[in-house]
Amino acid sequence: MSRNVRWLLPVAALIVVGVSACGTHSPPAGAGKAASINMSLTTVPTIRSVTVSPGKAVFGRCSGGSAGLNTASTPSKLGYPNGQCWLGKPEPGGSFPITITNTGIASDVYVSGSNAAPSDDGDEWDLCNAGLHPVVTCTGARRSEPGTNQYRILNFSPDNKTYRFGLSDDPACDRQFSESGGCFATEGQFQTEGIELIGPASSSDTSTAWTVTITWMPVPS
Amino acid sequence: MHLRLWAIGAAGLLAVLAIPAAAQASVGVGIQAGPVRLGGAAHPGGSYALPPVYVVNTGTQDESLSVRVERLSGGQGRGVPASWVRAGAAVSLSHSQSARIPLELVVPASARPGEYVSDVVVRGSAAVTDGSTNFGVAAATKLQFRIAPGIVAAPWFSLPGWVLLGVGVVLLLALLAGLARRSGLRISIDRELAGPGPLRAGRGNDVS
Repeated sequence: MSRNVRWLLPVAALIVVGVSACGTHSPPAGAGKAASINMSLTTVPTIRSVTVSPGKAVFGRCSGGSAGLNTASTPSKLGYPNGQCWLGKPEPGGSFPITITNTGIASDVYVSGSNAAPSDDGDEWDLCNAGLHPVVTCTGARRSEPGTNQYRILNFSPDNKTYRFGLSDDPACDRQFSESGGCFATEGQFQTEGIELIGPASSSDTSTAWTVTITWMPVPS
Repeated sequence: MHLRLWAIGAAGLLAVLAIPAAAQASVGVGIQAGPVRLGGAAHPGGSYALPPVYVVNTGTQDESLSVRVERLSGGQGRGVPASWVRAGAAVSLSHSQSARIPLELVVPASARPGEYVSDVVVRGSAAVTDGSTNFGVAAATKLQFRIAPGIVAAPWFSLPGWVLLGVGVVLLLALLAGLARRSGLRISIDRELAGPGPLRAGRGNDVS
C-alpha cells in the first residue's frame, strides 16, 4: 500500500467506529430493567359554542301602516309606513320563543342582525339603529324610525326591557344576558328572548317575502 | 273503513310526535377556545401556515360552517385585515360532527412590525327560508401573531428534502474527489476495442 494512502486508514477507522456507536448506547453495568405504567387523564372541554332554538321563525301580530293608502298591516303581514311585527311579546304576560344557550365555556354573547333580503334578490332593507353612535342611522322620524329601504330589529327578554337602540349588523354585546348591562354567560346559561321588527317607511322592492337573519355569537371575554 | 280509521290515527300520532322534534330543532356552532397562534415571528412579505382551527356543529340540523377573521374581542395589538388570512373552504357538518379548517397567513411586504390581535370567527348557516327570520350562530376565538422587522428569512431547513439531499451528495462527492487527489490516487480507464486479436488500447488500470 502506498504511503500516500496510508493516512486514510485512521480516518476510515474513526468513521466506522463513529457510525457503529450511533444508537448502541448500552446501559451501565448493574442497571435494572425499565418499567412503565400507562395513566389516563380526562380534561374539561375547551370549546366556545352556542345553540339557538328554534332555527327559524315567522313574525306575527303585525300592526301599523296606513289604512287610507291600503297598506295597513294584517296580523301576519307587515304594512307601510313603519308597520310593526312581533316574535313573542314583552312583559307583562310576555312570551319569549327564542332560546339562546351558551353550550361552551364562559364567554360574552354578542348578537347582530342582517339586512333584509327580498325573495326576488332586489333592493335590500338596511338594518338601522338608534343611539348616540348608530352603525347605520335611521333616516325616518326623530332618527329613530326607519326610512325608505330601512328597518329595525329590537330584542327583549323576561329579565330586561326591550333594547331600544336596536341591533346592527356589527356584532355587539347582547344586553339581555345580564341585568348589569354586560353579556357574560357561563356554561349552560341560557336566555329566552323575543324580537320586535319595525318596517321601512317605504320599499323600492315590491317583494312580499323577506328574509332576515339574527346571529348570536360567543366571543372571548 | 277500519283500515282508513287506522291510517288516519297513525298519521295523527306521527304528527303529534313530530311537533316536539320540530320545536326542539336548533342551530349551533362551536370553535376551539384556545387562541390560534403562529409559533414564531412572521416577516413582511412572508406566507405562513397557521394551526388549523377546530370547529363543531352543536345544533341538531345540518349546517355549512365557514371561517373568516373579524376583530371582536378586546386586547392590545394591531387589528388583522381579513385579507391577510386565507381560510379553507366551508364544510358541511351534521349534528356533533367536527372538522379542522386550515388557515394561511399572508403578510404583505408593507406590513408594520408589532403584535397583531384579531378573532377567528366560524359561522354556521342552515338552509335559509324565504319570508322568515333565520337564526344564525357563530363563535369566535382569538388570533395572535407577531411581525418582526426585516424581510422574510428563509431558514435552510425550510428547503425541500430533496434539495437538501442533493446538496449533501454533491458536497460528499466533492470531498471524496479532494481526498483522492490529495492522496495521489489515480484511476485511469482503458477501453479495449472488440476484435479478433488481443490488441491492447492502453496500459490498463493503473494504481500507484
